[in-house]
Amino acid sequence: MTAPLEAAEPAVQAAGPGDERPTRRGTLQYALSKAGGALFSIAMVIVGTFFVFRLLPGDPVRNLAQGRNMTPAQLDLERRRLGLDQPMIDQFFDFVGKTLRLDLGISYEYKRPVLDLIGERLGPTLLLAGTGLVIAVSLGIWQGTRAGWRHGSRFDRFSTGASLVLWSVPTFWLGLLLMMVFGVGIGPIPGLFPFRGIESVDAPDGFAYILDVASHMVLPCLTLVAVVYAQYLLVMRSSLLEEVSQDYVTVARAKGLRDDEVRRRHAVPNALLPTVTLVFMRIGFVVGGAVTVETIYTWPGLGQLFYEAVRVPDFTLMQGTFLLITVAVVVMNTLADVVYHMLDPRVRSA
Amino acid sequence: MTSPAAARRRLALSRFWADFRTHRGGMAGLVTLVVAVALALVAPLFISADVTSVVSGTGERWAPPSLSEPFGTDESGRSILLMVWWGSRTSLLIGFLAALLSVVIGLVVGVAAGHFRGWLGGALMRVTDWFLVLPSLVTALVLAAILGGSTFTIIMAIGITTWPATARLIRAQTLAVEARPYIERSKALGAGHWHITTRHVLPNVAPLLLASTTLEVASAIVTESTLAFLGASANKTSWGTMLRASYDFGAATQGAWWYILIPGLAILAVVMAFTLVGRALEAVLNPRLRRAA
Amino acid sequence: MRKWFARLATLGVALLVAGQGTTAALAQDPAAGKKTVRVGATQSMDSMNPFLAVRLVSTSIHRWMYGYLTVPDSKTLQPSPDLAESWTTSEDGLTWTFKIRAAKWSDGKPVTAEDAAWTFNKMMTDEAAKTANGPAVENFESVTASGQDLTIKLKAPQASMLENPVPIMPKHVWESVTDMANYDAEKYPTVSSGPYIAVEHKKDQHVKLQANPNYWRGKPKIDELQVVFYDNPQAAIAGLKNGDIDLIGRLQPPEFEAIQNDPNIEAWNTQGRRAAYLQINHGATTTDDKPVGDGHPALKDLKVRQALHYAIDKQKLVTEVQNGLAKPADGSIVPPMYKDFFWEATGDTKVTYDPAKANKILDDAGYKKGSDGVRTMPDGSRKLEFRFTIHTDTPIEDKLAEYLTGFFKEIGITLTTVKLDSSKFSEETGVTGNFDIAISGWSVNPDPEEVMATHLCSRRPAPGGEGGGTESFFCDETFEKLYQEQLKELDRPKRAEILKQMQERLYTQAPIIAIYYPNDLEGYRKDRITSITPIPEDKGLLYGGSSYWPFYTVDAKATAASGGASGGGSNTGLIAGIAGGVVAVGLVVFLATRRRKSTADERE
Repeated sequence: MTAPLEAAEPAVQAAGPGDERPTRRGTLQYALSKAGGALFSIAMVIVGTFFVFRLLPGDPVRNLAQGRNMTPAQLDLERRRLGLDQPMIDQFFDFVGKTLRLDLGISYEYKRPVLDLIGERLGPTLLLAGTGLVIAVSLGIWQGTRAGWRHGSRFDRFSTGASLVLWSVPTFWLGLLLMMVFGVGIGPIPGLFPFRGIESVDAPDGFAYILDVASHMVLPCLTLVAVVYAQYLLVMRSSLLEEVSQDYVTVARAKGLRDDEVRRRHAVPNALLPTVTLVFMRIGFVVGGAVTVETIYTWPGLGQLFYEAVRVPDFTLMQGTFLLITVAVVVMNTLADVVYHMLDPRVRSA
Repeated sequence: MTSPAAARRRLALSRFWADFRTHRGGMAGLVTLVVAVALALVAPLFISADVTSVVSGTGERWAPPSLSEPFGTDESGRSILLMVWWGSRTSLLIGFLAALLSVVIGLVVGVAAGHFRGWLGGALMRVTDWFLVLPSLVTALVLAAILGGSTFTIIMAIGITTWPATARLIRAQTLAVEARPYIERSKALGAGHWHITTRHVLPNVAPLLLASTTLEVASAIVTESTLAFLGASANKTSWGTMLRASYDFGAATQGAWWYILIPGLAILAVVMAFTLVGRALEAVLNPRLRRAA
Repeated sequence: MRKWFARLATLGVALLVAGQGTTAALAQDPAAGKKTVRVGATQSMDSMNPFLAVRLVSTSIHRWMYGYLTVPDSKTLQPSPDLAESWTTSEDGLTWTFKIRAAKWSDGKPVTAEDAAWTFNKMMTDEAAKTANGPAVENFESVTASGQDLTIKLKAPQASMLENPVPIMPKHVWESVTDMANYDAEKYPTVSSGPYIAVEHKKDQHVKLQANPNYWRGKPKIDELQVVFYDNPQAAIAGLKNGDIDLIGRLQPPEFEAIQNDPNIEAWNTQGRRAAYLQINHGATTTDDKPVGDGHPALKDLKVRQALHYAIDKQKLVTEVQNGLAKPADGSIVPPMYKDFFWEATGDTKVTYDPAKANKILDDAGYKKGSDGVRTMPDGSRKLEFRFTIHTDTPIEDKLAEYLTGFFKEIGITLTTVKLDSSKFSEETGVTGNFDIAISGWSVNPDPEEVMATHLCSRRPAPGGEGGGTESFFCDETFEKLYQEQLKELDRPKRAEILKQMQERLYTQAPIIAIYYPNDLEGYRKDRITSITPIPEDKGLLYGGSSYWPFYTVDAKATAASGGASGGGSNTGLIAGIAGGVVAVGLVVFLATRRRKSTADERE
């Protein structure tokens, strides 16, 4: 819940038919240049991470120990294990080398490789964020199309208003309210959905297991969808509005095409592009939402792991999860850029 | 009637106001905002930080809303109404300062990237793009965790993670402005970088900046509350820390719905007001959107 | 529009009904007839490896899984036999011989002295194995085994030998572990010698333990013990109220109040094992006696510290900050639940709330009040303005800070609050000494030796900032001498007497000021748990006791044929409806797009 709404709209323009876009360049060449940019970004992330985490005040080993009583021998061992006895420049190259080999270090709190910990939590996050994203995008596009096409209608006013409200609500607050109403239950109404974890402790097997997980997903998913779908709706609506006033729409109508067909065949495909790009551009936003949602509902995902690392604080783990999340977001953005380039003829031949 | 330029500006302003007034949502938001900011400013005339003190809070604990306590009391018998009122000062202050920081960085980088084409502009855009993709909540949490959660760090963390959107917007606008012929003329007359950017570009990007700032404030308030909820903030009473306290003290299991609802609704109202004003400003200022909306 | 919603609603209801049907059929509860107890925890496990695990939830679970040399007796808390059925000590107190019981590991192999010797030797030789309980073997010279006899030779006498906190591990299973630092011990079922065997661990979700049929005291009464993790404490309380979990411990006062009036829940409120105190920077030094940090010079004066003590209304703190669920501290760091070791101030030594007296002490010592009501140092160099360091994100400490600020204002001392996150906090209050007054607390074990040791000279940080673990930067000759004496004193009553003198010393010298002993607050479902014995058995603790006893003695109702009756949130019947709901949500989108096509013609 941190990206300004306005960023949602202009960002699309920025990613869209931009002014600095190379003219008449092949898609492959474009993709390569974008990939180069992404690699550069990733390199910056790695370097930035190294230095930000060295900004920590105090002795890193002591920070790790969190005031636990350690013998000098233990401290020494820890220091050597972390390579802190080396000069800074060696530490830096060591860090870069290890990161490139996907060695993210050992979590102090869990005493296990960070990569393993991340691997365990990846699935649940992909399940939650993925499902949430699919629902949010579909719902946003559908409702945005409807609202934009029948601009000014009751439906339009209602859905724009609703999405503005949802946009303004802090994720955690909505999550807590939903938990109270649908999880715990209020007054005589019993709670409907489980509000802890990804499955029951005594989870059944087979199909019933899927139902069990699905039931646990309802509340976290609902929270995530409610918060992220608003921006998709608003962007879809405004880009459709823009298409509606284009000449080709008027021409299509003049040809006598049915209203429905004009929309489906002409306006929507064009208006879809900025929205789809936005979906990728704002993946970081979904990740932010996932941190909050997973924490509230004890969902065993990456967001929860990251939050726990922040709370302990376990800096190795925090560093590893931060790196991974950021790199994932960079990759998604680059993909979005390339896909956009391939799909939108206006960009390609501008 | 000092100069024709001033007159022209005044005319533009009144036209802008006439346009803005047609946006009902924007007007509603503006009224809400003026009221909220005015209330926050005059708060010290009526109440003091004592309303957040657990020592002087002598009321009944967990009292539901009543005539004497319209919004009920919290776990220490403090009035939720007065705390929300006092807390609005911190929430709004962080909102405004973080937005200001974000917009200032965005403005400087954006104008520079638009004005200096060459490698400098390119490099600045690279940096901007890089910051743009950083997941902002995650980054802000890391920064707050590393640097501690004082008001200052929270403002820094929000400002640093949100400026790139503004920078992109400003850069696009700068490019558009500098393409106009009178800039060419100005250059021919020997105007330097400073003159062009401050005299010609700045006045032209200022209105858009206003819209952008408004929306930044909204998102900064939400981010502050989220950081406070996630426990990364060591602030004085704000709406976010109130919600955190309602969670820590188990308002939900106590059935104290007012403790959870009121600060949340305050955030909702103010953030929505900012958003509505920002959208209306954008619609008025951006002809592309104006046609559409 | 309206028609569309109506159709959707119908579909939703249809799905819900259908869903109920399917799962009702599927709900052949495999757990039927089993006795299961679910314990909620607001912390997840850090490691299944007892050599590494330090979180409280992990050490508790390990206490349910493994045997120890000795355990506190369930009635008196005195050391009593566990895997060691008897023991003898040499004259000089340096050689201890334990006779290991003829018990069996859960895989049927016999427990021998070799297992214990391997465990201790591993810790003495492998730095990584010291992570969890390193100090416990620091004083060990050698550990040898022959048959069922375990011989431990010490470097110096140690009376707390019988409070050894190290779980005995099966040598035949653990021998092959080479890299202890990175061994996660996620192998199930575990080989244990305690009442339970771990059979499943889903990270950050739950741990399942099964009764150990080979347990030497006999199999526990229940079949399965589950520990369910919650990130969100509010959700955990709601889970107890809903019946998702049966017991939860370590509650905060507000959480306890929330379950207090629930008819199905037994609210457990007994004396706790924790002491909360203020740590006062009375001149922090390193082990070479060089001053460190920037503590206020006035606090070096014992009179100022005593005046602070007189100015604190402990009863008010208990009522307002702890909601009355604590006991004001008229003693030191050992809470009253440990009857043998608890020391309470009486007569002249006892400090009671008396701001007038506090003012008088300061007046007499020459700290004069300025025009602003704030006192200055006798030489006028500095005002008595202290910092109070607390943790970020602990609302109870915020409250405490406000009250203390008020109390100290009465005696002309200004207190400002400094909030630090936990790592910074321990750095500044335990190593760098950059604080004036800080909040602190300690959960005391049945033997108070460890908590006493946190006030020794040797626990101060080394000049390079290493070592440490001091709770007060205290370094007092009398205290040191008493500590050495109690180490050698093997007679329990005599040793208790020395430990009490040490507490008195802490009380009168005031490097720390104990403010209250928080109660142990827990809750369990009366309709599920039929009996549970606390430790100690007379008004003791359940989960908060970190003992196997309550969970060994716990008995519960067997699970009924189908899910929990009291609306168990995660149980069968509901799952169905819920799943139906999800599908309905998914279908909204699908349907929406489909409808476009089918109704294209009938639209304007």
